[in-house]
Amino acid sequence: MHRQIVRRAGAERETLWVLLAAGAILGSAILAVGLRAAPDAEAPLATHLIDSRTGLTIAEQGLYADLKAAGEEIAAMRKAVDRAPTPEALAAESLPPFAADPSAAARGGHAWTLAETGQGIAYAGVSAAPELAGSLLLRLDGHGAEIWLKRAAETPPVPPEDAALTAAGWKRIVSTFTAGVTR
Amino acid sequence: MSILPNRRLILAGALAAMAAPAGAFAAPTARRRFGVTLHPYYSYVANIVGDAAEVVPVIPAGFNPHAYEPRPEDIRRIGGLDAIVLNGIGHDDFAGRMIAASSKPSLPVVEANADVPLLPAAGMAARAAGKVVNPHSFLSITNSILQVSTIARELGRLDPDNAAAYTANARAYSRRLRQLRADALAKLATAGTASLRVATIHGAYDYLLREFGLEVSAVVEPAHGIEPSPAQLAETIATMRKLDVQVIFSELNFPSAYVETIRRETGIRLYAFSHISHGDYAPDLFEREMARNLDTLVLAMAEAAP
Repeated sequence: MHRQIVRRAGAERETLWVLLAAGAILGSAILAVGLRAAPDAEAPLATHLIDSRTGLTIAEQGLYADLKAAGEEIAAMRKAVDRAPTPEALAAESLPPFAADPSAAARGGHAWTLAETGQGIAYAGVSAAPELAGSLLLRLDGHGAEIWLKRAAETPPVPPEDAALTAAGWKRIVSTFTAGVTR
Repeated sequence: MSILPNRRLILAGALAAMAAPAGAFAAPTARRRFGVTLHPYYSYVANIVGDAAEVVPVIPAGFNPHAYEPRPEDIRRIGGLDAIVLNGIGHDDFAGRMIAASSKPSLPVVEANADVPLLPAAGMAARAAGKVVNPHSFLSITNSILQVSTIARELGRLDPDNAAAYTANARAYSRRLRQLRADALAKLATAGTASLRVATIHGAYDYLLREFGLEVSAVVEPAHGIEPSPAQLAETIATMRKLDVQVIFSELNFPSAYVETIRRETGIRLYAFSHISHGDYAPDLFEREMARNLDTLVLAMAEAAP
């Protein structure tokens, strides 16, 4: 006798396939996200470094930008006359932060001096108001400018080299370039 | 067959041209074409290159860069460039998509802000622990000088024949920019100084204010061109009263009823800065607009002085 089982109408099989497909998509998405996960937070800066974006006061942020711009101008002036311009000469050129203008007073009233170093020159600015902005050092050698900071009314060690500065509690300011969010 | 006198002249001219040394008729070297996306960058690049190259605005004057969407004709313009100078930190992010879609997807890009110490974004854009940066670095004399230097150096690498001229032009331009700031500070010296508690309607002016040692206590606008809700407005007014804000800096060409509401409710003095994103592209636009911004800032500080 022939028997034929007629299943009741339903969509179990289709549902199963749909669920399997959804599971496969979900699984592959989880895998892709896992493989392309954002890197861990950046390692903290070394103790002798300080971040220009997050570690400086408002006045220090402005002074740091000014010193970066001044570094290029000083290098060009030095090349033109074959000697380092004095802070007074830089002030006469209205070059911030050496110019004694109202913004200099509002940003710590630094007193600038020039010192020769082993490989180059350095401009030390002792702050009159470290709570607004710490003392600063602009160090120039043949390869570029470095800017150091100490939140005290204090002159840097002579010569102002890395080891001596670090030992005396000075921190080198570093900045990072961040490209736009959608590029 | 006779040759008419004028034809004889043409023929003689052609023969003379063929006989002349090749160099005398050599086509001049084509000028480089450098693209820009924003008004300040047009001014920077125009002053750096002078007559040695052409500066090409990628988006036409009159478009607000905050709300700009690339158009096919603008993308086509990129195909004729030798390089493009970008703000690159959030103000012209559309440029990356335009370059990718253009006939020159590997167009050299000059990142003008590569050497600028950036600040965290202010107001509602402040998020991700300072990783989102304030893209308005051009609204500052010092940052402009740093960008001019970077642009001159990079364009000189792409166009070595004119590199020395670019460097010299950049220095002369930077000196003029520095003089703008010195002139403003000289006015401040005679008018008296003040330490202001400042609020801004747009989070664009941090770089400029920090050159003067000023901090922005509050940023009112959630995003450029978007007005705050009534609840946000009420909260803003309360915040300004609590912080004892003395001055509000608004934006020129951006009239809005809510700015007037804040001024009326708080009685705080209101001044307007230029965002330098309106009008025709011009080499002197940046200097003109920044001189006006500096005058505005000096006026605000002088009027707030006791």
